[in-house]
Amino acid sequence: MTASAASVAPVAPRLDARRLVREFPGGAGVHDVDLAVAPGEIHAIVGLNGAGKTTLMRLALGMLRPQSGTVRIDGVEIADAPASLWARVGQLVEHPLAYAELDGRSNLIVAARLHGIDRRAAGDLVDRAIAEFDLARYASVRASRLSLGNRQRIGLAAALQHDPTLIMLDEPTNALDPSGVILLRESLLRRAGAGAGILVSSHHLDEVARIADRITVINAGRVVGALDPAGIDLERAFFTMLHADDRERDAA
Amino acid sequence: MSALFGTAVAVEAGKARASRVMLSITVILVAGVAALASGMLFGVASGDEQLLAKLGPLARAGGWAGLVGVVAQITSAGGLLAFGVALSWLFGREFADGTVGGLFALPVRRSTIALAKLTVFLAWAVGVAVLLTTIVAVLGLAFGYGATDAAGTVELVRIPVLVVLTALIAVPAAWVATLGRGLLPGIAATVVLLVLAQVMAVIGVGAWVPVVAPALWAIDPGAVPAASLAIVPSVPLVFGALCALAWSRLQLDR
Repeated sequence: MTASAASVAPVAPRLDARRLVREFPGGAGVHDVDLAVAPGEIHAIVGLNGAGKTTLMRLALGMLRPQSGTVRIDGVEIADAPASLWARVGQLVEHPLAYAELDGRSNLIVAARLHGIDRRAAGDLVDRAIAEFDLARYASVRASRLSLGNRQRIGLAAALQHDPTLIMLDEPTNALDPSGVILLRESLLRRAGAGAGILVSSHHLDEVARIADRITVINAGRVVGALDPAGIDLERAFFTMLHADDRERDAA
Repeated sequence: MSALFGTAVAVEAGKARASRVMLSITVILVAGVAALASGMLFGVASGDEQLLAKLGPLARAGGWAGLVGVVAQITSAGGLLAFGVALSWLFGREFADGTVGGLFALPVRRSTIALAKLTVFLAWAVGVAVLLTTIVAVLGLAFGYGATDAAGTVELVRIPVLVVLTALIAVPAAWVATLGRGLLPGIAATVVLLVLAQVMAVIGVGAWVPVVAPALWAIDPGAVPAASLAIVPSVPLVFGALCALAWSRLQLDR
C-alpha cells in the first residue's frame, strides 16, 4: 500500500509511520521503524517490556516527536492534522483518561466533549458506551473509588465511544477481568468490521492471536519480524525470533 | 477554535467544580483570612499593647481602613500561596494523575486546554474576591463600622482589586508546574514568588515590579501608583503565553 492519498489511489492507510527514530540516552527508544494499519485491520505489536511498543505508540500519536521519520493518519502528516482528523482518533496509552473526582458518566462526557462531540449528542453517545462496556453500575461512582480494572474499562469506553476510525491501544487488557477482555475483543472486532484501523500492543500472545490480522514483533526498538495469527505455538515462534535478533545484535 | 475553547472551559470548569481541592482552598483562604482579621480586631479592641505595636499605623487607622489594611496584608501573602497551590493543582495534576496522555490526539489543542485552565482559574479567583469582600463587609458591620465609619466603606473596594491582582501574579506557578511535570514544582515557584514579593514589599521597594506591586500596595497603598498596578496583568499575559506554548510543545519524554 502506498502513502499517497490521491483520489485515484487506494484508500490511504489509517496509520502510516515511516522510518521512525526516537532514541533516548542509553540507547533505548525506537530505531528506524515502519508501521502501517489499513482500514478494517487489527494490527498487533508484541514485544517484551521495554521493547519500544509504548514509545512507538507515543510517536504515532504526537506524544513524542521523532528525531526522524514521518507519521501520517489517513494520509495527513500529524504535524499538520486538523481538528477534524483528531476527532476520528481514539487512544489509550498507559493511564486511562479517568479523573478521580468525576464519576464514570462524567468522565465519559468529558472524553466525548474533548473529542468534539457537542453537548446534546454527548449524552446519548455516553449512554450507548455505558451499555456497550457494561458500566451502568459505575456510572455514578467517582473514579477514585473504582478498581483499576474498572477505571481501565472507563478509559477504553472513553477511547472508543466516539467511533474513531483509527484506534491505538497500549496493553488494553491490563487489569481487565475476563468479561472485560471479551467486551473489548468484541468491541474491537465490531469497529474493525466497520472500517476502523486498530493498532494494539500486548504481551498476551494468545489474546492477540484471537483478534489480530497481523502481528509485528518488536525487539530493542526495531521490527524483527511478524507472526502468523493463525500459526501454532506462537510463543515458541516469538522467542525464537527474539533470540535470533539478540544474537545478531550481540554479534554486530 | 472558539467552540472548542468553550468546550475546554466547560470541561475544566466541571473538573474544578467536582474536585474538593478548589473548594478546600476557597474555604481555607476565606475562613483563614476572616478568622485572622477578626482575631486582630478583637486584639486591638482589647488594647493588647504588643499587637498594637506590631500593627502600627493600621491599629491607629481603625474603622474600615484598619480592617481592610489587616485583610489586605494577610491576603497578599496567604492569597498568593492559595492561588499558587490552586494553579499547581490545575496544571500539575494532569501529570501526577497520568491523565495528560489522554489530552493528546484530540481535536481540542493542548494550548487551548491550558488557556481554558487559566480562564477557569481567573473566574474562580473573581468568585473568591467577591466572597472575601462580602465576608469582610459582614465582619466590619458586625464590629459596628457601618455606623461609626460609614464614609470609610469605600475602603472595601481594595479587597477585590488586591485578590484579583494577587491571583494574576500567581500564574507563573502554572508554567513551572508544566515544565516540572507535577504539583511540587508549581508550589515551589509559588513560595519563591511569595518570599520575593513579601521581602521586597516589607523593605518598601519594587513598586514597579509587577509581582511585588500588589503586596506593597497591601502594606502601603500610597507607595504604589495606579499605573504600576495596571502593569500587573503583564505577568499572566507573559506566563499564560508561555504556558500555552509549553502545552502546545509538550512531549511525554520523562
